[in-house]
Amino acid sequence: MTRWFENHQALLSGCISFAVIVLVWQLTVDLGLVKAFFISSPSLVAVEFWRQLMSGELSTNVAVSLSEFACGLGLALVVGTGLGVLASWSRTLEYILEPFIWLGYAFPIIAIYPLFIAWLGLGEPTIIAIAFIFAVTPLYANTLSGIKNADADLIRAARSFGARRRDLFLKIALPGSVPILVAGLRLAVGRALTGVVAGELFGAAAGLGYSIAYYGDKLKTTAMMVSMVLVMIFGVILTQLLSLLEAATDSWRTGPGRS
Amino acid sequence: MSQIELRDVAIEYRKPKSDESFVAIRGINLSIDKGSFVTIVGSSGCGKSTLLLAIAGLIPRARGSIRVDGRDVAGPGRDRAMVFQEASLLPWRSVHGNVRFGLELQRWSRDNVDQRVAHFIGMVGLGQFADYHPHQLSGGMRQRVNIARALAVDPDVLLLDEPFAALDAQTREVMGNELLHIWEHDKKTALFVTHAIDEAIFLGDKVVVMGKDPGRIKDVVEIDLPRPRTTAMLDSAAFVAYRRTLRDYIAADMQSLQMIEDAA
Repeated sequence: MTRWFENHQALLSGCISFAVIVLVWQLTVDLGLVKAFFISSPSLVAVEFWRQLMSGELSTNVAVSLSEFACGLGLALVVGTGLGVLASWSRTLEYILEPFIWLGYAFPIIAIYPLFIAWLGLGEPTIIAIAFIFAVTPLYANTLSGIKNADADLIRAARSFGARRRDLFLKIALPGSVPILVAGLRLAVGRALTGVVAGELFGAAAGLGYSIAYYGDKLKTTAMMVSMVLVMIFGVILTQLLSLLEAATDSWRTGPGRS
Repeated sequence: MSQIELRDVAIEYRKPKSDESFVAIRGINLSIDKGSFVTIVGSSGCGKSTLLLAIAGLIPRARGSIRVDGRDVAGPGRDRAMVFQEASLLPWRSVHGNVRFGLELQRWSRDNVDQRVAHFIGMVGLGQFADYHPHQLSGGMRQRVNIARALAVDPDVLLLDEPFAALDAQTREVMGNELLHIWEHDKKTALFVTHAIDEAIFLGDKVVVMGKDPGRIKDVVEIDLPRPRTTAMLDSAAFVAYRRTLRDYIAADMQSLQMIEDAA
């Protein structure tokens, strides 16, 4: 029993602190310390959640946001890793792309949102484009650095057995860069979600970000909070899934497994 | 009959960020008989590893010729296999996958490859560990995999670059014994670089002594000890005499280094 507690200490502590926050939130409102108008309350959110679920509003918003998320991230995965591989072969391409990577990390991308509206109109294409730009940077950068930092000793050993360029890429650089690529994917997931919600806040017809903005305008705190909580839940689930994938692909370096 | 022939070999490295080059080794003449075990010893910086890498075809030479079985060395080839100081194993592959790696790169036919791999894993005593990954193995075990990988491609010449340098003294002795045991099996020509004098004498039919500034061959000492070699020989009068000779050569190198440092 004590063993079980030790093994799950992190998870358990996290759950407890979360439960305490929910409880304090509820009590603050129930005891009249803060008006529900400002912070709603867990029980109000639960009721409103049920209402939105029954009316179909919730599933529509979730479906729209997730499909935009999937499109943006999918596109970023293809383009980011593709360009990363190409840039690892061509120094020229790497130098050409470098300033955009600086921008991708340093520039608040959301500031060019109006331009995207001008080009792509208000709605899904613009939101997908924003999510794409948010997500593509770490995917490109991690693919490139993963391949470029292939172990020089391994490459020399492979060359001593007559490895060709293709062998070096397929048998050393690519498998060796999988862990850092998955780490990039984990960053990209969080950034793509940010891109979708931010995009929807400014202009959309449906989606979780749209719902937050819509009810926010109407000062309906509780209804707004349902979507906020959902965004949080998706963020946590997705990054946790990626952490599992990361651990699985990195097991040859850290894990005890012997598959 | 000599299998490896080096004639007036020189190797230069380009100095970083300049057009000047640095002479790593110069004027190397050496012939190595088929089936012999030759060790190369010298203080660090004498270019002994450079020489080995050149024979492996991994670095270009500035001058001279290197021939293996009469063929000019222009790059890596199936007739030579290398064992590195760092085990250089693919961390994401099992022991089996790592030993198989060389065979894959040399495009061996898939038939019987797994049997062949298993045979060489058994030969280096890792039969129980074929499914293990490198991070689960000790340093000595990793070097066994490294050796099995080289043996598996059936080279005519085995090139070993300080393969036991990172191991503790006991493991090192065991590995040396086992390497000789494996070698006596089929007597492949072996060229073994080390900075340990005892190891060089214990393993070699000949010890090539290298000096530095620039890297060159000072002498080739024939080791007239019977085979199979045993650890008891380490204390024999003959062994002690070889040790003294080689130590004097290398001490001379260290002294000249000391003089340079004093002058500076």
